[in-house]
Amino acid sequence: MILLESHNFVIYNTLAEKVAKPSSLDVVFVDFDGVRFHMSTPEKKTVIQLSMNIRCWDELAQYGALDVLTREYGSLITAATEPEYNVTLQVDLEQLPAEADGREAMLKSISLMKRNVLGAPFELAFGEQKKLEDSGSSRGQLMQIHYRDEEAIYIQAASDRVTVIFSTVFREETDRVFGKLFLQASEFVDARRPGIQNAPPSIQNAPQVLYSNRDPPLEIRDLPGLRHSEDIGYVTFVLFPRHFAKSDASFNTISHIQLFRDYLHYHIKCCKAYMHSRMRHRVSEFQKVLNRAKMEAATTERKTVTGRTMISR
Amino acid sequence: MSLLAPIICDNGTGFSKIGFAGNSDPSFVFPTAIATRGGPAAQSARGGPPIPVKPGNLASKRGVEDLDFFIGDEAVANAKTPGYGVHYPIRHGMIENWDHMERYWEQTIFKYLRAEPEDHYFLLTEPPLNPPENREQTAEIFFESFNIKGLYIAVQAVLALAASWSSSRVTDRTLTGTVIDSGDGVTHVIPCAEGYVIGSAIKHIPIAGRDITQFVLNLMRERGEMTAVPPEDQMKVASKVKEDYSYVCQDIVKEFRKYDAEPYKYFERYDGEHSVTGRKYGLDIGYERFLAPEIFFNPEIYSSDFLTPLPEIVDDVIQSSPIDVRRGLYKNIVLSGGSTMFQHFGQRLKRDLKQLVDRRLEASVISSGSTRKSSGVEVEVISHKRQRYAVWFGGSLMASLPEFYNFCHTKAQYDEIGPSICRRYQIFGSAT
Repeated sequence: MILLESHNFVIYNTLAEKVAKPSSLDVVFVDFDGVRFHMSTPEKKTVIQLSMNIRCWDELAQYGALDVLTREYGSLITAATEPEYNVTLQVDLEQLPAEADGREAMLKSISLMKRNVLGAPFELAFGEQKKLEDSGSSRGQLMQIHYRDEEAIYIQAASDRVTVIFSTVFREETDRVFGKLFLQASEFVDARRPGIQNAPPSIQNAPQVLYSNRDPPLEIRDLPGLRHSEDIGYVTFVLFPRHFAKSDASFNTISHIQLFRDYLHYHIKCCKAYMHSRMRHRVSEFQKVLNRAKMEAATTERKTVTGRTMISR
Repeated sequence: MSLLAPIICDNGTGFSKIGFAGNSDPSFVFPTAIATRGGPAAQSARGGPPIPVKPGNLASKRGVEDLDFFIGDEAVANAKTPGYGVHYPIRHGMIENWDHMERYWEQTIFKYLRAEPEDHYFLLTEPPLNPPENREQTAEIFFESFNIKGLYIAVQAVLALAASWSSSRVTDRTLTGTVIDSGDGVTHVIPCAEGYVIGSAIKHIPIAGRDITQFVLNLMRERGEMTAVPPEDQMKVASKVKEDYSYVCQDIVKEFRKYDAEPYKYFERYDGEHSVTGRKYGLDIGYERFLAPEIFFNPEIYSSDFLTPLPEIVDDVIQSSPIDVRRGLYKNIVLSGGSTMFQHFGQRLKRDLKQLVDRRLEASVISSGSTRKSSGVEVEVISHKRQRYAVWFGGSLMASLPEFYNFCHTKAQYDEIGPSICRRYQIFGSAT
């Protein structure tokens, strides 16, 4: 598994299970970026209520999250939102599409709820870019989404591009080193460097990625409240119209770019796991060497000059 | 900041039960299996994971072998895919292959739970008599690879006791009791005194879920019922019969008579479909219904080398525990695991055990020659609704208490002291 998937397994599995056999339900679970879900059947076994709490809801709502939700889910959104949660969907299992394909698509789209909400500002920015291109003005508004404590996404549209900046905090010294290596030296920046032979064309088409440690990039340098410390990193993606002109391309771009932070942290963990397994392997190899190097107990008989045997007791 | 629910991870030999605290059922139950590139043979021959070959340009080294693996149901589904080999990193309840286990956890957390380990507390389980080194290894992986917030490693038996608090028959919430934990591979009888496992008195029974299925299969083959069933489906049918139709009877002879007198009333019909060709078949289920779980009480009908019935083992276990906790152990016998789910299992066990105890009390009254009578020993077997995933449920219950966080070792403590901090865990629940 190299890429993380964008839909939520728990939502999908639970709904599929309940479609087959409705029963009462009350579960809480999470998604990346501190999103909390609550799934329950408060009234009837066939009506499932799914509520979501997302930290940066206010900001997202401001950037059109509700419109996206209404577009995706329409009448499923209930007016009465569950306390402590931001959005509540109500899924009536009896009114799902009858044919298997339609139902499948419906379940899939519900399990993409978090992706859709977080995708709203991206869609807005892509739309804005188009407008700016037509009108010829240079820069759109800078959208900030504080999706975690101390970490945020900044999105800005310009006439020819959309810039997405992630800030990410590495709590752990090791993680920071790995992250830096990962971002700077190997994966993203280098991969696009011209002159690498036989790089697949998909990499050439990938958005440009810039990484800066400690200092925020120019676009957001003048924002108040930015931290200047060693453990913070900024990743800048420059998206060109080819990344979001077609609707399926823009769908994929949004799905992938949202998961970028989780992708990064997942791979840092994978790196560490890989290192650990190498270390374990090496330790066991060394242990073998040590065992081989053990002196064998002297088995020869030791005799005195007169020919008597010395027996050690 | 609002705390996110702790993650409960119960990795068993056969299945892993994973979910969030506060729920009544685990979110995921899948086999503890990992399918990696390079079959089991190739792995052992080469030893250790592969190293990227040539130095030089980092970006050209796109070795992703270490990311190419599946876990759980997907691993089992990929068992036949060329190039993949399925491994079971846990043997007899203990983790054997740490490399595989680390990767297994990796994908559990990121792919299935979709949680950032940095934001969560974790509750893991361990079998009784788990060596402290294993606990340290686990802590190392969780704190150093995953940077989790806090960790608690609980003994499975203790969690099973905690799970029994959900039963209405439990009045006082103690952590003293005998746990009968029967899963797929092995059955344990574990005495616990105030949250501590009495290690010297634990007994294992080599009869568990898998054996029951095999026994059902044998019985049905002998009766000629299995001829209609395609060979590859026979095991599946047998386990279905075990899970859906079996119950524990109170008297075998009477039960046989009942079945012979009115076969139409008691025999059940099972209809299946061939998994490949879709051909329909049907079979009659008869004596298997009550004989299947009977192997716990009369093991001689199945195996020839293990002959001690379960009630006797339980009695032995309690008798070899310290004398001052024995009453508590008799009074609170808790069932856990899928193979204790048979109807009336608890009643039968209670009856047989009560007989054993009463007989011994009588004998001692006679041999002591006194006229005083003992007040008797209370024997109680507790079965409850959450038995199947009792360990997980106990964990969920414990971790949803606000005190849970005080009992965890945090990342800061780990960084200060090192993995040895995880040798000891404070028992919780006992103090309240």
